[in-house]
Amino acid sequence: MAWSRKSAMFAALAIAMYLLGLVLRNSQLVTVAVVLLSFLTWAAFRTSHADVASSGRRVDDADADEGIQLHSISALRRISSARIFEDGEIDVTLRIQNRSNLSKVLEVRDRVPEVMRIKKGANYVLMELGPQRETEISYTIETPLRGFYTVGPVCIRVQDAFGLFHNEREIHLYDDFLVFPKMEDIKDAMIKSRVPKIFTGAVNIRNPGEGSNFYNLREYIPGDPMKKVNWNATARSAGKMMVNEYERDAVSDIVLIVDSRKIAETGPVSRNSLVYSTRAAASLSQYFLARRDSVGLVTYGDEIVSVDRDTGKKQLYVLLTKLAGAMAKGNTPLKVVTDRIMPHINRGSPVIIMSPLEDDPTVVSAVRDLRSRNFDVTVLSPSSLEFEFDARRLDRTGYEVLKTERDILLSELRGLGANVMDWEPDMLLNTALAGARGF
Amino acid sequence: MADENAAEDGSSDTAHLYEGKKISSAPPSRKKAAGRLKSSTEIPEDAIPEVHVPTVIESFFGGPIVNTTKFLPPDRMVASLQMGSAGVLMILSLLTFMVTPVSGTAWFALSNMLGMQTFGGVLHLLIIVGGLIGGLYGIFQRDQRALIVSYALLIIVTLRFAGSKVDFGISFLPEEEIYQKMLLLLYAVFLVMYMELTSGIIRFSMLDTSIRTGEVYVMQVTKITSRYHRSLLVTPAIASSVAGMTLLINLIIPAFVGLFDDVSALRLSESVELTSVYGVALGTVMVFTVVAAMFAVNLPLRIQQMRERDA
Repeated sequence: MAWSRKSAMFAALAIAMYLLGLVLRNSQLVTVAVVLLSFLTWAAFRTSHADVASSGRRVDDADADEGIQLHSISALRRISSARIFEDGEIDVTLRIQNRSNLSKVLEVRDRVPEVMRIKKGANYVLMELGPQRETEISYTIETPLRGFYTVGPVCIRVQDAFGLFHNEREIHLYDDFLVFPKMEDIKDAMIKSRVPKIFTGAVNIRNPGEGSNFYNLREYIPGDPMKKVNWNATARSAGKMMVNEYERDAVSDIVLIVDSRKIAETGPVSRNSLVYSTRAAASLSQYFLARRDSVGLVTYGDEIVSVDRDTGKKQLYVLLTKLAGAMAKGNTPLKVVTDRIMPHINRGSPVIIMSPLEDDPTVVSAVRDLRSRNFDVTVLSPSSLEFEFDARRLDRTGYEVLKTERDILLSELRGLGANVMDWEPDMLLNTALAGARGF
Repeated sequence: MADENAAEDGSSDTAHLYEGKKISSAPPSRKKAAGRLKSSTEIPEDAIPEVHVPTVIESFFGGPIVNTTKFLPPDRMVASLQMGSAGVLMILSLLTFMVTPVSGTAWFALSNMLGMQTFGGVLHLLIIVGGLIGGLYGIFQRDQRALIVSYALLIIVTLRFAGSKVDFGISFLPEEEIYQKMLLLLYAVFLVMYMELTSGIIRFSMLDTSIRTGEVYVMQVTKITSRYHRSLLVTPAIASSVAGMTLLINLIIPAFVGLFDDVSALRLSESVELTSVYGVALGTVMVFTVVAAMFAVNLPLRIQQMRERDA
């Protein structure tokens, strides 16, 4: 049995009045105190059910547990999906059963992660549940941020009518779900390996794309470059303009490096470098895997976590799961990461680094090493400065100074031959990528 | 479901070519696109921290009792509680005026020192009226600060050195001890009920606001409110019975002893200690010893078990 603030206040007041009444020999004060104490005692009597037996053993563990107010309550939960993307919705259905022979007035709260929003229904319900009855609570939660989450436990509370005392119990019922980073549709990332893979395994690469081998003919669509028009075929096709399509040369090995150091989470919870980086990595993974490329992922923070390059839909989910679980921790330098992965990737493969590039003096040497080994380096750098400035946590002067320092660093990286994009918060990934590739 | 769709969307990389969409033959201008292609320029809600600078009153009273909640207009339940509380407050103010004499109070002593005896009476009345007005304001504005002030004034007005004897503010009230104690009991019950009803106003207003904003969902509202209404009748009755036993211990003990020895019973009934406030203290000890014993043998649990079995 737990005391509420109100009952504690009443009890303190009653005791004070009682003692003061005795000192002043004031029967009015003593009478009020006695009534107040009786009021509290009756409420406690109605609510109390002895959580702990005299032996010290919890009543929950005892064999004879019938009659306990909350013990006869059970709960079952069902969630509509265990894997979802950011900004998705999960329907939760909670079934509460009262196996007792008495009706109960219950407060039920199904605990949802703090970052989730309740879109429909309520996870906090006050109800009277009849004897041997059950009821269903349904609500929908929105999933605004990637990560591993758990719904539960179910907290049940019984309290007296005046809210003076209450008994609480947590039903340890948990349901886990995974929120993948949101993906943006990328039209053309313009990233290809300069060194096509010789052995492509079982992957069918006979798809149209930017290549040198003729694939087929199709009708002209506005926007096609004129150099692709096949004038002979056009002449034969009774006025229809025909263009050549080419077969993609080969699949590429693409390595995505995501900075998940502690500094990457600088900024508001929903708008920071790590959020943008994971979303970009997810979008790029989807794009490249759909293009039959082989995609690998490295996240680094307090440790270096890597996913070997692979292709296919399964790989997409492996990558998304790793991205969902990326936590902002530690301060591993980029150089350590590049030194470790360089021996394992083909020279000339595209390497895409997503990092705010802050608080890491090894960035320049890491990129220099990659470039010297002929890797096609693209740096997408979500600017923490912009997040901080937008959130009004940085004044104008500080922003300008830091921005200048950042611009110098980006220029230096560009000088090394890397495609660098200062990714501002409002810029779409497509635009940022186009910018990085020099358009 | 969503993940499957997403995967399917990305499976055909040239699908957009066949949907007749216009694809620019020239690469997009980065600057132009950056200026135009914006997802949102709004400052995110969680970006601006909420800073609440406490007022002087808030600093004085502290956090929990300060009214910072904005309630929606009262629903039927809250409105009925407001009317009930106002009625109880009116009666309580009258009872307070009746049962609390000005003699023995600090302001009475002060007015005597100043030689203005009526000043003490006026101040006494002003405190009661202050409690009444503060209470009415608190009830209808649902302002916890005003309610706290009202509680404090209605308790302060009873603070007096009384010298063990029950005194009333109005001379024509009954002289018999049992009626005096009943009147005192009535006053005490109304004071406690006033505190409970006013806190009920705040509680149900918060609940109503939570319901209407969708934070809480209540099933069978009428059953829950009727349970509260029932408790409002039952609990004061039981509390006043227990308190009555405590206050009338000077009659109960002699009556019990009288079963065995009439002389001792007579002596006890004439005992000054038993009829004074210390008799009430003795009664409290006795009654609450019994209550403590009930808790010690885990009677609430056993009653609960019995009810479960018998239901």
